[in-house]
Amino acid sequence: MATKYILKLYVTNKTASSVKAIENVKDILKNELNNLYDLEVIDVLKNPQLAEEDKILATPALVKALPPPVRKIIGDLSDREKVLLGLDLTTK
Amino acid sequence: MAKKLLKVVSGIPGFDEISHGGIPKGRTTLISGTTGSGKTVFSAQFLYKGITECGENGVFVTFEETPTDIIRNTKTFGWNTEKLVKENKWAFVDASPDEVDKVETGQYDLGAFLARIEHAIKKVKAKRVAIDSVSALFTHYQDSGVIRRELHKLAANLKESNVTCIMTAERPVEDKQISRYGVEEFVSDNVILLHNRLNSHGERERTIEILKFRGLSHDSEEAPLLVSVRGMNIYPRPRTELRGKGFSQKISIGIKGLDDMLYGGIYKSSTTLVTGASGSGKTVTTLHFIMEGAKRGEKSLFIEFEESPDQLCRNAASFGWDLKKYVDNGIVELLCHYPEDLRAEQYLQMIQDLVIAKKVKRVVFDSISDIQRIYNERKFRTFVIALNAFLKSHNVTSVFTNTTSQILGVTEIAETHLSTISDNIIILKYVELGGRMHRLISALKERGSMHKRDLMEFEITEESGVDIIGPFKDVENLMSGFARRIRQMGLNKEEAERDFIAEVAAGKI
Repeated sequence: MATKYILKLYVTNKTASSVKAIENVKDILKNELNNLYDLEVIDVLKNPQLAEEDKILATPALVKALPPPVRKIIGDLSDREKVLLGLDLTTK
Repeated sequence: MAKKLLKVVSGIPGFDEISHGGIPKGRTTLISGTTGSGKTVFSAQFLYKGITECGENGVFVTFEETPTDIIRNTKTFGWNTEKLVKENKWAFVDASPDEVDKVETGQYDLGAFLARIEHAIKKVKAKRVAIDSVSALFTHYQDSGVIRRELHKLAANLKESNVTCIMTAERPVEDKQISRYGVEEFVSDNVILLHNRLNSHGERERTIEILKFRGLSHDSEEAPLLVSVRGMNIYPRPRTELRGKGFSQKISIGIKGLDDMLYGGIYKSSTTLVTGASGSGKTVTTLHFIMEGAKRGEKSLFIEFEESPDQLCRNAASFGWDLKKYVDNGIVELLCHYPEDLRAEQYLQMIQDLVIAKKVKRVVFDSISDIQRIYNERKFRTFVIALNAFLKSHNVTSVFTNTTSQILGVTEIAETHLSTISDNIIILKYVELGGRMHRLISALKERGSMHKRDLMEFEITEESGVDIIGPFKDVENLMSGFARRIRQMGLNKEEAERDFIAEVAAGKI
């Protein structure tokens, strides 16, 4: 019954919060989703057009494209509980 | 010359006059105003006219309306914004709200926002950017400290990109605070306020005020702002230097005796008020003015509410004037319908369009009292001030008529607010004298010039229209309408005149 997560993480180059967000999300996903996910890391400086399409203003920003509902989690993802809540992973 | 290079043409008629040349070039200017004060229209017009009139492409960053909304709304002004987007001249950065849930956790910045703006600027090689409105960022994100820092960064980036930017901000109410969240403190040294006040009739009145342009000159008084079917217009008060320039040459009003009373006619670009009761000769006086211009090949606009074009032409023909010929060959434009179904803004725009398109040099408004009946007092005042400002700035000489209610007796001109904008006031009156009605004409105020203070008698004849016979002699109480021959010793014309001047000074006339 594995629902595959499709996630996009928007970052700005290598700012401290971006680096931290990448570390945090990878850690959470490894522990909680058992690698059942697709994560695309997008640098807005290289791909501003993608940020335009997803209407991203703040970075870092994690977009949960699937499963619905679509949700944006803004920030360096340091509050693990909030991130899990945002990803609907608070069943335990 | 040097001053001009520091500002860019705004695309908003009238704004470049109050701002002494436009929007500060290569900088960010904050436009703050309450809801409905015209911030979005100002922003869109700045970009649209920048592209279509100056060849400067633009980026519109929208926080409240979607790009589709803006394309649709600007279409009502006759602008094809969609085409400009397709031609890569106009780019949107869409920051309008989406339905997606947002959660904040930890540190963030607006890196994506800044990158998108930069991308859009490069994409269309923009010279202008409008951001409407930055206040929305403070409601979208919890950490206002971050937003402040990022907006500061944005302003610096824009400066680096060498674009001219306007940024709008919400003003909660009309009070001392310039903008919500104090945006002006960290974004810009250039601040424009758009006012939107409720008048005593429950109507909105908009004005614009330039609060500061760092190191650059500008007007500091508020100017009326109107949005018509063609977009935004601002109406600066006529400048004294403009007035000085325009007021160097006199033109004939078309009535020999009246020109003489005014020592050679009225000044070019001046505003003349002809006031009198119904049937006192106002329309025929204005016909003189129009026919005189037409003879010289000067284009005229005749705005008339009480008579139809046919009636007006017949009226002129009864004095032997072929007005119809001039109407037919386009020298004289007649505008004879009531503006009741037109809002003041639209009506004003229509007059402006005609004046510009036909290169009109003389305008008659017969009578302004008809307009006064339609619009409430404040609206009427704004209309008159705006129209007068427009006509003066286009070097148009105008004659307005004002219908007074009383046939005889003292009438107040001041009540209409018209006396303050008029350079000349010409009074037409009926006077009862020796059991017979006489016609009286008097020039009351000739701004910046000499005029004769005599109270003159005139007739209206089929041969010559208004025919000035000469001064009333040895008569007193003329202005009351019930004159008396002076028989007593010592009371002569000079004294009668002095009484009259005293009456004027006391504000009775």
